[in-house]
Amino acid sequence: MLFHLIKIHSIRFKLIASLIAVSLLIGLISILVGGNLLYQSVLDEANNRIRQDLNVARVIYDERADTVRLALAITASATEFRKAVASDSRMIVSEALRDLSDRLKLDFLGLTDARGRVTNRYGAAGPEKTPLLSANPLVLRVLEEHKTVAGTMVLDGDKLLAENPSLANQAYINVHAVPETTDAATRQDTVALTIGAAVPVFADGHPAGVIYGGYLLNRDTAIVDKIGETVFKNEVYKGHNVGTATIFYDNFRIATSVKDPSGNRALGTVASPEVTRRVLDQGEKWTDRARVLDDWYITAYEPIKDIMGKRVGMLYVGVLEAKYADVREKAIAVFTGITLAGVIVAIILGWLFTGRIMRPVSHLIRASAEISGGNFSPDVGPISKDDIGHLQKEFLIMTEALKEREKSQMAESEIRLIQSEKQASVGKLAAGVAHEINNPLTAVLTFTHMILRRKDLPDEVRSDLETVASQTERIRGIVKSLLDFSRQTVLTPEPLDINRLIEDSVRLLENQALIKGIHLSFTGDDDLPVFTLDHNQCQSVLINMIINALDATSSGGKIEIQTQKTGTADDSGVEIRISDTGSGISPDHMDKLFDPFFTTKEVGKGTGLGLAVSAGIIQRHGGTINVHSKLESGTTFTLWLPHQPINAHPETDTGQEDQS
Amino acid sequence: MKILIVDDDPIVIQSCCRILEAEGMETRTANTVKTGEKLLAENIFDLMLTGIKMPGRDGFEMIQRAKKIRPDMPVLIMTGYLTSGTVEKSRRFGVSNYIAKPFTPEELVAAVRKARSVCEK
Repeated sequence: MLFHLIKIHSIRFKLIASLIAVSLLIGLISILVGGNLLYQSVLDEANNRIRQDLNVARVIYDERADTVRLALAITASATEFRKAVASDSRMIVSEALRDLSDRLKLDFLGLTDARGRVTNRYGAAGPEKTPLLSANPLVLRVLEEHKTVAGTMVLDGDKLLAENPSLANQAYINVHAVPETTDAATRQDTVALTIGAAVPVFADGHPAGVIYGGYLLNRDTAIVDKIGETVFKNEVYKGHNVGTATIFYDNFRIATSVKDPSGNRALGTVASPEVTRRVLDQGEKWTDRARVLDDWYITAYEPIKDIMGKRVGMLYVGVLEAKYADVREKAIAVFTGITLAGVIVAIILGWLFTGRIMRPVSHLIRASAEISGGNFSPDVGPISKDDIGHLQKEFLIMTEALKEREKSQMAESEIRLIQSEKQASVGKLAAGVAHEINNPLTAVLTFTHMILRRKDLPDEVRSDLETVASQTERIRGIVKSLLDFSRQTVLTPEPLDINRLIEDSVRLLENQALIKGIHLSFTGDDDLPVFTLDHNQCQSVLINMIINALDATSSGGKIEIQTQKTGTADDSGVEIRISDTGSGISPDHMDKLFDPFFTTKEVGKGTGLGLAVSAGIIQRHGGTINVHSKLESGTTFTLWLPHQPINAHPETDTGQEDQS
Repeated sequence: MKILIVDDDPIVIQSCCRILEAEGMETRTANTVKTGEKLLAENIFDLMLTGIKMPGRDGFEMIQRAKKIRPDMPVLIMTGYLTSGTVEKSRRFGVSNYIAKPFTPEELVAAVRKARSVCEK
């Protein structure tokens, strides 16, 4: 059905195809460029956001240590507590520590004396029987600097055990060996990352001890969940948390909101070697898309330094890339939709446009067909205002011209028809008359001549009889011309040198010209090919023409005959010009020139059949005959004969020839 | 010399007789093909002069019959107008010479002589 409506080469198809191509091109460019640009800007935006999110996460992380520091500082500055520490009043100290631990839910909390010996450990098995030197780095820093210290530190299994035996269990994390990270398997899995603070306790201006406390970060959920809550509002996308946060010890996850496929927190899994190298080893911040377990995230990492300034772990936040990737997919879907809509619009517009454009064209096509059919006033439809309108106007002008030409051609052929009918009827009549005259004329000629043979005729009678004889000869000439005219005799063509033919004819009439005092000349074109013509008939035409010229020209005049090759190949031929400087032909006589029996010569000098017969002969050779004349200055007859003769008209009818 | 003249027009026959007899020739005339045929069968002629267009059987019919009876007799035809068609047909029928009407006595005598000489050759 569509094939019938849309022909593959039709303008309509081409226009629609190009419109579709344009729509598709623009659409594809939009999808590729627009989709990517949009995605890129969204990605950039996401990267910016994740950097900010990481800052917020850092604040939340640091806040954890600050909270401890603040609480410890308050406790340490209390006069009662300071006195108790100075006086080693264990009861008061224990009370204060318990109070503190309950409030902050610290994982570990302890007190040392000024030399660093642990006097109290809240959460440990019990009060120390033999006070040991604290190995806690926080305490060591405070003892060294007598200043408050807060931050991250690494505690190995023993130290943890010392602080709080239950912590060792919590700290245990099974590090999932990942093939690429070969050293992961060898890692001690009970080493823990902690965050906390230590505050010196002064009594009377002298350091009396150090109070310290903190949280174990291994398996801690407080920080990562708080980040998820405050930064990412616990947003869920397709069953996944959009935002995730992780604390790494070294390169494995010790606290995270990233869930493994079974929904458990992905503890013990390791970061990618790239991230490890850039963040942990080189200390850079790192923002990019990264694969976290099975999903792609837009991630930001930064190193976590311990209180000594050593990089011990990493803080990570990430948002699910899928959420942003969907933006691209949505954009592509929208662009595709727009493109398809564009294509549909292109088809509809193309259809309508071509309809509009082609309507006048179809009109013109129909009009052309009508002209071919002979109707020269076809309906071309309303004239449109565009270029087609121009075509329509030109078309109308053309039809007008065609109409005119047709009219003039018809008139011309009508004239020709009348002419030939006239000639035919005149010819028939003439032939009939001539035949009837022939027999009596034979008798007249015979008996006149027989009488003239007699020797006894008086001179007077002889003279009269001679007149009868000569006038009878004249009749014989007229009858001969009549028959020549009426009989459109068959051509007997033969190879012919035209120049030679004209030379012969000129030679025949040279004497007559000489007598009349007329200069008769002939200039032949040497380049003429051999023509195939009827020798006798063509010669009679030439002689007739030259005689006419001689008759029209007075003494001292000139007759010039020229031949010239014309045309090439198919339309080649010869032009024979016979010009005289004679009396010329009156314009009134021009159209009767070739009529039979039309003559301007004196009675008895011409039959009025010469030109009519000549024209007939030339026409039967497929040639033309033209006259150009100016009164009192001369006439030029131009004969044209084709090189390839057109077959003679089958006008000759042998039945008529055999009349006697 | 004995000549047979065949034509439908008495004035043509009369003219021919007048000219040829003046030359001392013996003439017999026929105004139809039938008569001409009969005369040919009964007499020996030195030449036959015939017109072409005649009502009923025409000159060519006459020539055809004459050639059956006297194949060696020269034939001269008279015609109102010589066309290439007539010339061609005459040649086929074994015509010795042609003459166009109207003619002068001299022309006819010359044509007869020529026809005789053509035939003798």
